[in-house]
Amino acid sequence: MKELSLNILDVAENSVKAGASCTQILLTEEGNLLTLEIVDNGCGMSEEVVRSVVDPFYTTRTTRKVGLGVPLLKLASEQTGGNFQIESVTEQDNPEEHGTHVTATFYTDHIDFTPLGDVTETLLTLIQGHPDRDFVFCHQRNGHVVELDTRELREVLEDVPLNSYDVMGWIGGNLEEQYDALSQADGHSGEE
Amino acid sequence: MALPDGSREINGVYIGDLLSWVMGRAQMDNAWITIMSNVNVIAVASLADTSCVILAEGVEMTEDLVQTACEKDVNILRISQPAYETALLLSQLIS
Repeated sequence: MKELSLNILDVAENSVKAGASCTQILLTEEGNLLTLEIVDNGCGMSEEVVRSVVDPFYTTRTTRKVGLGVPLLKLASEQTGGNFQIESVTEQDNPEEHGTHVTATFYTDHIDFTPLGDVTETLLTLIQGHPDRDFVFCHQRNGHVVELDTRELREVLEDVPLNSYDVMGWIGGNLEEQYDALSQADGHSGEE
Repeated sequence: MALPDGSREINGVYIGDLLSWVMGRAQMDNAWITIMSNVNVIAVASLADTSCVILAEGVEMTEDLVQTACEKDVNILRISQPAYETALLLSQLIS
């Protein structure tokens, strides 16, 4: 993928498909190290399935025999010298606390690092497509944070669906404002 | 070289290394020239139904890659020349 945000979208869709009521997308930047975590409370995967999802010939789709969401994210991470890991607990093993935790690290100064791209667009696409699910987003850099929690929005909105035109517009604008503030903070820390 | 499906014809050439990009653009029966050599290449070739994958610039073919290619009926070859020269050679052969 030309942008990591598209990889994120692809993998977060897997969480939705796994029945997750809440999917967290966490980005943490420390110097040249970017850590991406996608954490869901879906049905989880057995050890065998965890091993096989990094295999490009494994897919839950029936329409084609190849699934590249996870393999491409793994590749994007490893080609910068980063690591890729999946941990999962199945609902059968632990009915109280189950789900999947995908962690990918990237060295952002590596020439083969794929730019992050438009994460706001990814979040809006997820919310638009799955207004009944919750998404938590948190992007940290230099002590500054961009965040979104649809559970908080839902409380305020009550019966207004998250994917209604006005709400989507507000979420997009709010994330953009937060990202503007983050870039400004970057500028200041650069001047010091 | 591994040609598990050696009767395939080549009707054109596609060159690219960004797998997700190639996936949507390489045409059926193209020879696909790339310098990427991880197992995802086989998946993309299988998905796009290219006639073969050609690893340019003498990129190493791991045993794992060859084995997967054979299992998935994907033809894979290796050449020491860069992609452009390889495409020129193919152009002469198929015209």
